Amino acid sequence: MGVQNAVLGAHNVSKAFFGNPVLREVSIQLAAGRIHALLGENGAGKSTLINLLSGTLAPDSGEILVDGRPVTALTPREAHDLGIAVVQQELSLASHLSIAENIGLGAYTRRGGLVDYGRLAAAVAEIGKELGLVESPDTPVGRLPLGRRQIVEIAKALYIKPRILIFDEPTSSLAAPDVALLMRLVRRLRDRGVAILYISHRLNEILDFCDYVTVLKDGSVTADRPLAGLDPTGLVRLMVGRDPRNLFLPYASQSTGALVLETKDFRAAAAVGIDFELYHGEILGVGGLVGHGQEDFMMGLCGAIPAKADHFRIFVDGEAVRSAPFASVAEANARGVAYIPADRRKEGLLLPHSIDFNLLLPLFASRSVERRRGAEESAITERLAQRLNIRGDRRRPAQALSGGNQQKVAVAKWLPLEPSVLLLNDPTRGVDVDTKREIYLALRAMAAEGKAVVLLSTDTPELVHLCDRVMVFHKGGVAATLPHAQASEEAIVAVAMGVQKAPALRGEAV
Amino acid sequence: MAGRGARLYWAIQWRRNDGLGALFLVLAVFAVVYAVLFHGIFAIGAASKFVQGWFPTAMVAAAQTIVMLTGGIDLSVGPMVSLGSVVAASSMDGPLGVFGGVLSVLVLGAVVGAIVGVFVAIGRYPAIIVTLALSFVLRGVALLIMPRPGGFVPPLLSDFLAGVHPTTAILLLLLVIIWKLYQATPLGLGLIAAGDNAEGAYRSGVSVTAARMCAYVVSSVLQALAGLYMAAKTGSGDPLIGEPMTLAAISAAVLGGVGFLGGQGTMRGALAGSLLMSILISVMFFLRLPLVAQYIVQGLIIIVTVALPLIRVWWRRTA
Repeated sequence: MGVQNAVLGAHNVSKAFFGNPVLREVSIQLAAGRIHALLGENGAGKSTLINLLSGTLAPDSGEILVDGRPVTALTPREAHDLGIAVVQQELSLASHLSIAENIGLGAYTRRGGLVDYGRLAAAVAEIGKELGLVESPDTPVGRLPLGRRQIVEIAKALYIKPRILIFDEPTSSLAAPDVALLMRLVRRLRDRGVAILYISHRLNEILDFCDYVTVLKDGSVTADRPLAGLDPTGLVRLMVGRDPRNLFLPYASQSTGALVLETKDFRAAAAVGIDFELYHGEILGVGGLVGHGQEDFMMGLCGAIPAKADHFRIFVDGEAVRSAPFASVAEANARGVAYIPADRRKEGLLLPHSIDFNLLLPLFASRSVERRRGAEESAITERLAQRLNIRGDRRRPAQALSGGNQQKVAVAKWLPLEPSVLLLNDPTRGVDVDTKREIYLALRAMAAEGKAVVLLSTDTPELVHLCDRVMVFHKGGVAATLPHAQASEEAIVAVAMGVQKAPALRGEAV
Repeated sequence: MAGRGARLYWAIQWRRNDGLGALFLVLAVFAVVYAVLFHGIFAIGAASKFVQGWFPTAMVAAAQTIVMLTGGIDLSVGPMVSLGSVVAASSMDGPLGVFGGVLSVLVLGAVVGAIVGVFVAIGRYPAIIVTLALSFVLRGVALLIMPRPGGFVPPLLSDFLAGVHPTTAILLLLLVIIWKLYQATPLGLGLIAAGDNAEGAYRSGVSVTAARMCAYVVSSVLQALAGLYMAAKTGSGDPLIGEPMTLAAISAAVLGGVGFLGGQGTMRGALAGSLLMSILISVMFFLRLPLVAQYIVQGLIIIVTVALPLIRVWWRRTA
């Protein structure tokens, strides 16, 4: 399967973090003068693969090949010297250094040991012209808006005149004219013989100008082929095609049809213009690519960030009790809205404290100054532990638990407050299969009690199998709300990618 | 080509004054107050004495700034200055004389800096813990070598460094020039990048470890030399003379806008901060404020100067 002019490649590389495999025997070959697309859902292993190719990480097994020769212990510095440049998604800029100093960082030309500012100025001017970088090169990068910083990041990669150029979602924060400019630039670089690896979630971009595609799915390559002859639907199918697992319970709606929350033109940070209503007993899915406003939507709902709405109602026993979004998390909790954050280690739990203490924490917040009562407390924690199947000694610190069990504690602790709305932010991220199943059971049980569950998930099958409806976010708004029957993986991913707004793709009956 | 480089360089340098306006203003006000209170400052004798009083603080402020720019902090500045003064005063009567003394102090600084660097830059230990522990060790060693002030510094050296002439001012200028040159090397810029965004700097091919290591060595050498200077000024070594300098160095750096998170701040800011503190002490001395009041005023000035940008932001938001 060797490519004639492969300049950079990986051969059967595997990588695991803390025993969790992220890449399994992945091979990829970048060729000079070719634009190679790397596709995959969030968490498929794309970033890890880039880090291996650019020397930031070392593979557990397998080889990285440069010009067909294996290189061992590649570092970013050596990768630079070999002509490998990466346009990072997590920008690699120093905000207090100037644009020029950032562009040259790590590769300054020297004169008498000092940075040659004359050469730097000339190089920056030349690259700046090509990229439309109009800001003065002495401007500190911290003064630039995010989109312009992205341009500086690209300029920085071009500065070393790379033979191999890797773009990690370069357009995610770019304005449309800059995207067009970037496309022209990438084509020019290809024509000059640069090998390009291009990661993007914008399928139209990829179809527009990439030549070849490798698709990653759960850490394995599922497709490695020329792009010719593929359409957006075909690409989406390549990304989601997986073995169905016996993980989900048969779907049964428990929605009662009684409103618990409704809002019109709800706005919070990146989330704008959201209309939705929520019913008792419903599991409402929230999907979309990371960073399209869904997190802000959840945070805004629970009062963690400022939110506005034209119309906002929370109902208790059919009575509207509130007409504006919550100004604080405490207010939201008082009205029966609880938020379970994605980062359970930092935001969900106090790791050094006991499991019991963590389980009681929201209860403490709801009480004024009074003596703690041991017997009552242990009765509560006992009940919670049984309910979510938290096993073992609860006097242990929360950090002693596995990720999945920590998540169960983070969910269970809200139950004594009897919330009517539970907002969960990606509760099964990094959780093993068995615990996932337990969490699904718990969510179902809560819905059966009449609680409304809002489930933000980056794991698309969850949205498909658990949810009564799925709101799919794109560019800060809800691109479509798919009822269960239409919420197939293909449909959700297609809407999330902006391929189509209406769910015209035929949903597989589940 | 050269003209273009110089233009870019000086433009960048000018932009680094951003955010220092408040400090420069406060500094100017107190400088005027001081000059009004004490006309004699413009005479060569008083002027050199003033600069000599400021110089050690300026050196340790610079030393602290280098470390803080990498995102670290040094709590062993004071004991290091003390040890520097003790080593200087106890090695100058050896066979190599003044030369041997200076060499011992340089070696001391480099070795201690390298030790901190190994722990912090390579071992990834928190700088605050390593240097806190080190401060006890250095204090102990200084007291072991010289339980009470003493030792010997040749009067010639004392006169050269602390006599009635502008030598100290020239040394200060030299310090600034060396810093400017260092900041114009890839290593110097790497130091700021590593403090600002260590992961990004590493991915860009900057040797983050080398940049940090180098910063700790340079910083320790500066501190040891500050000790040597103190010994020359007082004519003897003193195992406790540096004690107030740990906090003085941090105060000056903070006044100068050097951030605790790394990558943020300038040497000119830190030097201006240390100058402001020196002037303050002199002004309060002339106003005959009791020592206790001086501490309070010093603390208040730091809070006010640091708060000025915040007040300005708040002002703009409400206006």
